[in-house]
Amino acid sequence: MRKRVVITGLGVVSAVGNSLPEFWNSLIEGRDGTKEITVFNPSAYRTKIAAEVSNLDPEAHFSKKEIRRLSRCDQFGLKAFREAWRSARLDRDSHDKERLGVILGAGSGGILSVEKYFRNFYQGMKRASPSLLLSYSLATTTDHIAIESGSEGPRTTTATVCSSSSASIGVAYEMIQVGLADVMVTGGSDSLCEVSFSGFSSLKLIDPESCRPFDKRRQGLVIGEGAGILVLEDLEHALKRKAPIHAELLGYGICADAYHLTAPEPNGEGVERVIRIALSHAGVSPEEVDTINAHGTATPFNDIAETRGIKRIFGERARGIPISGIKSMVGHCLGSAGGIEAVATVKTLETGIIPPTIHYEVPDPLCDLNYTPNHSVKKDVRIALSNSFAFGGNNVCLVFKKFSSE
Amino acid sequence: MYNKTFKDTPNSELQTPNSPKDHRVVITGLGVVSSVGIGKEAFWESCLQGISGIKPIQGFDVSSYRSRLGAQLPKIDFNAFIKPANLRRMDRIGKIVVSAVRLAIDDSGLTLKEEDSGRIGISIGTGLGSSDTVDQFFRSLLKEGPIGAAPLLFQTAVPNAITSHCAIEYGIKGVNITFSHKESSTEMAMTFAYYLLKEGRADVIFAGGGDELSEPLYHVYSMLGALSPGRGKGVEGMKPFDQDRNGIILGEGSGILVFETLEHAKKRGAKIYAEMAGAGLSGSTDGILRYDLKGDSIARAMSLAAGEPQIVDYISAAANSTPHLDRAETHAIKKVFGKRTKEISVSSLKSMIGEFDGSGGVRACGVVLSLYHGMIPPTIGLVHLDSECDLNLVLGQSKKKEIRSALLNSCSNGGSNISLWFRRVEGFHS
Repeated sequence: MRKRVVITGLGVVSAVGNSLPEFWNSLIEGRDGTKEITVFNPSAYRTKIAAEVSNLDPEAHFSKKEIRRLSRCDQFGLKAFREAWRSARLDRDSHDKERLGVILGAGSGGILSVEKYFRNFYQGMKRASPSLLLSYSLATTTDHIAIESGSEGPRTTTATVCSSSSASIGVAYEMIQVGLADVMVTGGSDSLCEVSFSGFSSLKLIDPESCRPFDKRRQGLVIGEGAGILVLEDLEHALKRKAPIHAELLGYGICADAYHLTAPEPNGEGVERVIRIALSHAGVSPEEVDTINAHGTATPFNDIAETRGIKRIFGERARGIPISGIKSMVGHCLGSAGGIEAVATVKTLETGIIPPTIHYEVPDPLCDLNYTPNHSVKKDVRIALSNSFAFGGNNVCLVFKKFSSE
Repeated sequence: MYNKTFKDTPNSELQTPNSPKDHRVVITGLGVVSSVGIGKEAFWESCLQGISGIKPIQGFDVSSYRSRLGAQLPKIDFNAFIKPANLRRMDRIGKIVVSAVRLAIDDSGLTLKEEDSGRIGISIGTGLGSSDTVDQFFRSLLKEGPIGAAPLLFQTAVPNAITSHCAIEYGIKGVNITFSHKESSTEMAMTFAYYLLKEGRADVIFAGGGDELSEPLYHVYSMLGALSPGRGKGVEGMKPFDQDRNGIILGEGSGILVFETLEHAKKRGAKIYAEMAGAGLSGSTDGILRYDLKGDSIARAMSLAAGEPQIVDYISAAANSTPHLDRAETHAIKKVFGKRTKEISVSSLKSMIGEFDGSGGVRACGVVLSLYHGMIPPTIGLVHLDSECDLNLVLGQSKKKEIRSALLNSCSNGGSNISLWFRRVEGFHS
């Protein structure tokens, strides 16, 4: 028999809130987290904005010694992990630690620290601290969380950047399904850094004003940062320890466009395929899907391809499915985007509130679906999808279901 | 014997809506790009002869470091593997891995055009992927500001670019994933491929990965104190299990294995090298740069992987010439196999190809060839055996031995331990 996998803990750090309640309130109120960049000096760039995390006082959460060793990405990850861990009512004795694993997705990871090291090094400053290099590996945040939680089960890090943390959730699901773990901490963390900011800028994929998914005026992403952490658990294990259950993860799909290094396949063929793979794995028919948390990066091509892909599967019904593009509020958090969006999708199922796509004013004839413009919507939803697509056409789709014990 | 051995052996009753069966997973093709040989024949010949790929570093200046050795790839004419027009968009690590996939496809006899492209996948592990491209991008950004940011470099700098290059080059439209978790990156990529095939979610998955030895990477490893000879007075060298071992020597390369369901392999009459029959994953929590200090976690990974520990005849060790890991792994092997320990041959291919995060693909090709040919390549470089590493080591020369099954171990600093279990497939060995 296939196991049922449920979500028993959630934690978030984002530009619109550094805790789950704050984050969720901001989303349903349609608050934009975009602000002027402070983590590096953006003055030389045409665009100076990002969805930066603010008001997260490291000293309130970590010791001085820890702060020296933890990158911004590690700090976000640990903060969100602690929230998820507490909300799942886990402690060191609540489970077999050999059957607790950690799998996170990474994007640029702790590269902000590495940038600092190499900036000093290349500019001839001798005393660049080697401890900044602890973040050279994308595995570092995962290892920090594993060590703090005492996890002795499966541990790895996925590295498909914009779809990383959705992929990590799929792999974590797999670890429970094949019997290697009862509880998996998953999702992702990522922080702003100049390398990824300048890279997306150089590809002309950044919008200088705001992130406007599916709007005709859209010019691209607003880079974001933060962490979205989920606790996945074998249903039987969760029931036995009377854990709170937020939703169920029914299945996932991962596939590739095999089309281009940065551009999506324009007809939405890859998008269609990944959703089909996910639905078939989840044992759900397209008719059952009630809402979609879109990848919705607001780049001109991505939103068209995603719209086309959704129409290819759902046909006429597509227009009736409320879609939300929360990157309009939290930005594109790269390695943590999928995790943060999965948290939002789970909250949607739990509360029956679909967060809006904000900054939506001018319809694009090529993006003609219901994007939940500007205001959240109440709807009883049973099945929700969360899409993530990455450079190279790395597509991931997760299928969540409102929890019921039957 | 480790008493929890069988508790969590992955269940065989797993069913998913689109996979009524629990498929067997076999290896049907190998692609190796290594410092000791390009292509599986050259690689295997060097392994059996105990040839080392370690030499003084070329291509960048190491005079300011205490270390000067590395296991670098020979000069490769990538035109032999990749169309010149496509070569232009790839960086060096991209070319290396795409070439390894080419070799694996050719070796497997697969005609990709005749396959359902959605059921062909790729799962790649890389520790630091395009570290050199990231460095070039960053230096140009530092020098010239935003105009210096080169879009062509950026798009190949992301860690999954390697996997994307392969997918685009060969039209692989099924599962596509990239793992990056230090020294267990490629083993995770193979583990994931194994489970997906077992569940029937694909017919074929190219699994493995690789890493390159770049200047920034050498710098980082050196600054973190990982490179031999470390900070002491010892002599630089890659010598797993030696009492004077004092750190790693970096290597580079890529190994790709064609993972395939037995059913699909039989249908197309494929040559079968071996079967993958189990994976064990565990974690240790001794510190962000520390291996599993006691070896208990490594032991658990091996126990979970080897469904039948009584037929394990060979272990391709993770031992990497660091003071801690080689001892911890020795302890782990003894803990799992008890009195049988002396019957099990152990060697570390890292003694020849150096240590790198993505080494698992190359080492897995080694394990599979060992099973297929009944030959075990040696651990080289050992002068004085560490008395606490008293395993049945294959030293200096390769050894002929019928191997029923073998384990491939990987242990990352920070504490992810993965062990893969491969079995000989009767009727297919040479």
